[in-house]
Order: sequence, then C-alpha cells, then structure tokens
Amino acid sequence: MTLRLVFCIVITGCMLCGQTLDPNKLLQPPVDTWPTYNGDYSGRRFSTLSKINSQNVRSLSLAWINRTSHATGTLGNVVKSTPLMVDGVLYFSIPDHVFAIDARSGQPIWHFSWASKGGWHLGNRGVGMYGDWLYFETPDCNLVSLNSKDGTERWHKPICDLDQFYTATVAPVVIGNHVIVGVSGDDLDIPGYLESRDPETGDVQWHWSSVPKPGEPGSETWPNAEAMSHGGGMTWVPSTYDPDLRLLYLGTGNPQPVIAAKARKGDNLFTESIVALHIDTGKLAWYFQPSPHDTHDWDAVETPVLIDGEIDGHPRKLLAQASRNGYFFVLDRTNGAHVTTAEFVKTNWSKGVNAKGQPIPNPAKEPQVDGALVSPNQGGATNWPPPSFSPATGLFYVNANRAFSEYYIFDDNEKPEGWGGNDRGGGGESMLQALDYKTGTIHWSHKWEGPGVRSGVLTTAGNLLFTGDASDNFVALDPQTGAPLWHANLGAAVSNGPITYELEGTQYIVVGAGDTLFGFIMLREK
Amino acid sequence: MVSALLSAVAVFAQAPVLPDAPGRDTLQRVCAGCHPATVVLGHGMTREGWGQIVATMITRGAKGSAADFQTVTDYLAKNLPPTSSISNSASPRRTALSAGPRDRQIIDSKAAERGKAIYTPDCGSCHGPLARGTSNGPDLVRSSIVLHDRYGDKIGPYLLNSQPASGAEPIASLGAKQVQDISHFLHQQVEDTLRSGPYTQVLNVLTGNAQAGAAYFNGAGACATCHSVTGDLAGIASKYDPPTLQQRLLFPRTVAFGRGPVTTPKPVTVTVTTENGESVSGTLVYIDDFNVALRDAEGNYRSWTRTPQLKIERHDPYAAHEALLDKITDNDIHNLVAYLDTLK
Repeated sequence: MTLRLVFCIVITGCMLCGQTLDPNKLLQPPVDTWPTYNGDYSGRRFSTLSKINSQNVRSLSLAWINRTSHATGTLGNVVKSTPLMVDGVLYFSIPDHVFAIDARSGQPIWHFSWASKGGWHLGNRGVGMYGDWLYFETPDCNLVSLNSKDGTERWHKPICDLDQFYTATVAPVVIGNHVIVGVSGDDLDIPGYLESRDPETGDVQWHWSSVPKPGEPGSETWPNAEAMSHGGGMTWVPSTYDPDLRLLYLGTGNPQPVIAAKARKGDNLFTESIVALHIDTGKLAWYFQPSPHDTHDWDAVETPVLIDGEIDGHPRKLLAQASRNGYFFVLDRTNGAHVTTAEFVKTNWSKGVNAKGQPIPNPAKEPQVDGALVSPNQGGATNWPPPSFSPATGLFYVNANRAFSEYYIFDDNEKPEGWGGNDRGGGGESMLQALDYKTGTIHWSHKWEGPGVRSGVLTTAGNLLFTGDASDNFVALDPQTGAPLWHANLGAAVSNGPITYELEGTQYIVVGAGDTLFGFIMLREK
Repeated sequence: MVSALLSAVAVFAQAPVLPDAPGRDTLQRVCAGCHPATVVLGHGMTREGWGQIVATMITRGAKGSAADFQTVTDYLAKNLPPTSSISNSASPRRTALSAGPRDRQIIDSKAAERGKAIYTPDCGSCHGPLARGTSNGPDLVRSSIVLHDRYGDKIGPYLLNSQPASGAEPIASLGAKQVQDISHFLHQQVEDTLRSGPYTQVLNVLTGNAQAGAAYFNGAGACATCHSVTGDLAGIASKYDPPTLQQRLLFPRTVAFGRGPVTTPKPVTVTVTTENGESVSGTLVYIDDFNVALRDAEGNYRSWTRTPQLKIERHDPYAAHEALLDKITDNDIHNLVAYLDTLK
C-alpha cells in the first residue's frame, strides 16, 4: 500500500494507480466502487453486499466522522450530496465546496473551494466522475472540472445565467462521453433545461428545453409564446439511464410562475413530467406528466427508478416514481405507457385519475385568495431525497410526509409573476412506505415519531434498509417487515442518501447528517 | 444618514454575522438543518413578516420545538426589524446567500420615484404600470436586458440607440441621470416580483358566511365540545386578525404566527407503564422508536428504553383539530373564520 502511494507520487499521470474511474464500473452493481450519484444508472440504490446483515447489524459501529465545517469556517452547510467512492477515495460536496477524503479512515485528502458570485446556496447533490476528472455545479451557474488526484481546477464553464436568477444544485451524471448537467432556480420565471457537455472541453453537445417553442409538440398546453418561454421546469435531480435502450430518464420541476397561475392556463408541458431522452441527441422519446398544470410547487423531479420486473406474468422494463404530489407512478420505460398509479399517502387535491394514469387536478384546490386547504403541503408527500428499490423484496421504499397547509394567492393581478402566493401551515406526520411496485399498494408503513423526515434510503442484499428518522437517528430496518433493528443518533437529521461499499473485505456504510459525513463498520473481531 | 446606512449595509453584506443576542444559538440550530442561518441577513421584516417566514420553513420541514420557533421569531423580529417598506428599502436582499447575483443593483428609492415619473407617462402605456408588459410592449421585469443592467449601463445604450425590431423610437432626449432613474424603477419592479417582495401577504380570508360558521361551530364541527364563544374564545377577534384566526383553527400546534399575542401550544402528555406496573405521567419530552422521555409534575426528567412490554399512552390536546383536517371543507373554513371574526 505504501509502495503504491509512493509510486503514484513519483510517476504523475499514472493510469494504473490513483483515482481513475473505469467506465465499466458504471455498468455494474456497486460493490468496491460507488461511481455515480445513485451507485449505478438504475437509481435503485440497492447493494449486493451482505457482510453487514439483519443478523449482525446490532454490532454496527462508528468508524470515523468527517466534519466539513472544519474546512469551511462558519459556513453551516448541510451534506445533501451522495458521495462517490472510487479506488478508496470518497468525493462529496456542499455548495461551493468539494472534498476528497479517505474512504477507510475519513481522513481529508484535499478540499476545493469556489469563490462564489452568488446564487441560491440551497444544497449540492454531489459530483460526477469521468476518468481522472470530477465535475460539479456551483450556485453561481458554473460547471467546474477538477483533477481528482489533487482537487486542482482544470476548467470551468458557464451553464446558466445568474442574472436571470438561475442557480445550480444537481450532481452531474456521466454517461459515456456525456456529462449531463441540470439547472435550478425558482425565483423569477425562466425555462428549465438539461444539457450534455463534453467531458474534455465542457462544451455543449446537446440542449433539451423543458418547455417547447411555438408550434412544437407541447406548445398547445400553453396560452402563448411568452408564458411558455418563462414556464419553468427545472432539472434539480440527477437522471437515471438504461444502457440497452440508450434512454435517459429525467423528472422536471414545477411550472412558473409557481403559485399564481392565471397567466399560464393549460397543462404546461413538459414541466412536472417524467421524460425519456435519447442519450446521443437529447431528443424527446416519450413523456408522462404526473402533475398537469401544477400550482403547488410539487416538482416531479424525484428519482425515476428503473425496475426490471414482471407484470401479469410478462417481463417488463419499468420505471417507478414516488412523486411529490403524493402519487406513485409505474410506467413502461420503453415507451412511457402507463402501468400503475396509486396514492402512497392520502391526498385531497385531485378528482381522481384519468385514462392515461394522471391525477386530475381539482380547480377548487388551486391556491385561492381566501385560502385552500391542501394535502400534501408545499414540502410534498416526498421530496428530492432518493428512494430505493430492492429486487430482493420487490418493494419500493420512500420516506413520505402527510401534512396540510392553506395555499393562498397573494398577487391577484392579471399577470402574476415569480410566485404570487404561498402556503402556510404546520405539523403533519412522516412515515417510511414500502410499496409493491406492481400495484402501488402499501406492503408496510412505518410511522416515525415526528414530522418532516427528509432522508434518502439504501437497501442491501443483507436484508437491510438504511435511512433517517424524525429524531436525528440513522436507522436500519428489516425491509420485509419495517421493524427497526439498529440506530445511532447523529445529532442532526440524515440529510443525504446513504451508500455502502467494500474495501479489503470490510463493508462500510457512509451517511451524511448536517455538516458531517459518518462512516460505519462492524465491530472488528479479534 | 442614508449614505452611512448604505455603507453599513454594504459591509454587512460582505461579512455576514448574526447579531449577538438572545436566541442566536436557537436560530443557528433550527435553521442550519437545511441552510446557513446567515441567510436571514440583509432582510428586515415585522414580527408578522418573520412569523410567516418561520411558518413557511416549518411547512418545509424545519425541526424544532414550539418554543424554539417562538425564540427564532422573537430573535428575528427584534434584531432584523423592517428598515422601511420593501419598496423604500435601500437594500432589500443583498445577502451573500440569497438568490441571484451578489452584485445586484442597490435600489435608490428616491431615484426609483423619479424614474417612475418618467416611466409611467412615457413607457407605461405599452409596457404596463408594473412593467409586466401589454400586448403593445414586452415584459420588462423578466427582460434579459433589464436583469443584466446595473445602474443603466445596459438600458441606457438600448434606449438611446433603439432597436430596429422593436419599432420604438430612439429616446435621445434622456440624460444619463434619467436613464439611471428609470433603471432604479425597473429594478424595483424586479425586486417586488421576487418572493421577498410585497406580494407575501394574505389578502382577504373574510369571504364566508358567519351564520353558517356558527352552525358549523355548534354542529358538524363539534367546536363547542371544547370551546365556548363566551368563555375561552370571548373577544378572540380583538386579539387576532382573520388570517391568524384561520391558521390557528387549522394548525393550533404551530406557534400563532401573524398579528396577536403569541401563545405557547399545549404540550403532548404521556403515561408510561413499565413491565413491573410502575406508571408515570408527564409532559412528553422526547420519543423515537427506541427511547421515550417525559418530565413529570414535580419536574423530574425520566427516560426509558422502548420495549414491547413498555406501554406508552399519549394524550394530544390538539387531536380533534388534526382530525378536522380530513373532514373540514374550504367553505366550512371560510364560514368559521367569518363567525370567529364576529367575536370582538
């Protein structure tokens, strides 16, 4: 080990050592590597590792912590990123900062800091990797490429216009020689888009807009060209990908103006949609819209999870999303055909489901000047934190919230802009839902002892599910029954999606809570 | 005075530090779960305004006790009061961590007033009084030229040279100062359109029928089971404005944001019975899947590890309000608020 390190230091640019990502790792289940945001392209967040399992998890114990605030002074930022783990090194981020730490010990290796020109520092979902290079997005609209060995900047390229109130939060996903970048921003009305960038130069390979141009398919769902061109549909959350179909799957954000929708009548395609794009061209293959004409800020950006399953005895290539609007959708991912729609928490905003499987919005539950009582609230039935699908149990797991709020129109002008309203409320309840992917029925539900849970989920072949609760606990549960098996209180809520990997025969579980990353291993036997 | 304030604000924006005052630690703890607490710097609001922000954060998952949220609201109201109305504010939101670029134009409200006097007769008929456009002229709030402009440096050349495609006449008669005044006016419209602008207030919730509200109070709503309009609710409308009444009846556990006295919500009480039959009651302090803690009437803190044998019985004083959320209609809510508003 020591010899190998020395070798690396002496011979710079060595391709056999150091932290180079083998592209084949992206096409395999994550074991000794966690090479992309979801571990692999499927978005399942399921690991085949089983050394830590439901029989021995009671002996899982803390191995190390890495506190980002030590490196960033007073910035109280939260780790929302899912770390990558490549060749024994973890790479993770908070807004404007990227960290490389030792995956065995949590020891810092390097830290990159970006001098910001502004933008909304809401969170950063992580980094993407291609060969020796890392990619991350900054709140002030730049795509930055770093050398993974030492964290030095290779280049940065603008990806959006800060002056128009764009910002950036998403983790780039690397697919072949495409670096997929998304944009964010929910303050002033702007169109969302997804771009493919060249991993060597950062130049645009293709650009897909969440809103159509006049005359294009989807334009009939907008009242006019102006509303369309300012229609929102941000690309906040990393995409998934089917290498056989060569299709990328993306959920798009809310239409804009966000709440007061008087000047954007219609379904507002392709906002709040699950879309499939051809990876080589960025052209739309199909779409499905979970929330037509949304007025509640219910981004449909939640991870579209790819499931190779069976419906009515036939093998099917499926896609499942537990959407912020409270509905669980299962689609045929080859063509977008609808398979299943079911509530995963009770909601009150729709008049049922149409023949295409979409909830039909009840106009009375759109925001009103005197208020409309709506559930879910703006935080949603779930939010960006990643869910998990376990092929071992056939269940889809998502942390869910059930809460009400009053939605108000604050701007009753003929042409409201920006938000023009908001919701007010409080309380509610949180639960972990285990859904049968074939029917959407709730197989089990574990209610947490408090509201507001926003933690990602990991499942493993060790018959374990890891996530966070409402009381700052990192919890392991039995994925078949929902019974809690183990916990550790981390002093802050689990704020990202947990990951797992194995190095030299030791299985690690790594999770972020607040400003800190925690590594867990089994108690070592003597 | 104005320039001193401006420079103070500018220094503030460069090195954001939360004022050292009671409640700061609570603010940092509660807010830092999702974003840096320093995000509040550069904003100035009334207690009602801050209360609404805190209420919004609760709906977005902010974690803390009712007392924590009250402390946070008190801290913000006391330490970050309104400088003036947002339209007159020298620097509405120039914080290191808010949306948009850090080098946004600092709006000079007097210049914006002068700009409005030029804009309204000369530009407003086509671009609209709020600069949001009409069929005769484009929206200027969402205009790329305006959003890239600083103190007239983009608007000026555009106005003076005109654009052949726009059909507008060149406005060569405008001086540099007038261009800058128009720039301040337009940037003020942009700031007003953002989430922190003036469109953050509930307009009117008094749309219901008070008589129908009384019927619901005494009938289907079963409010009279626990409340009395001549007892605990006597004069309630003198204490709270209608939007606050509406929020309080639906979400009583949330601290009473809005106008009116702040009340601490009633705690959940709990009775814990151990395997050997010992039974202890008190205020619920903490509960998760693994442990439970309470404080008994004598002030003793007690905690237990949860087992199948440990019985926990909870009493939620707001259970009836929570159950109401699944039953009450929007009409019932509006009628009930109209009725409660008669209890002056």
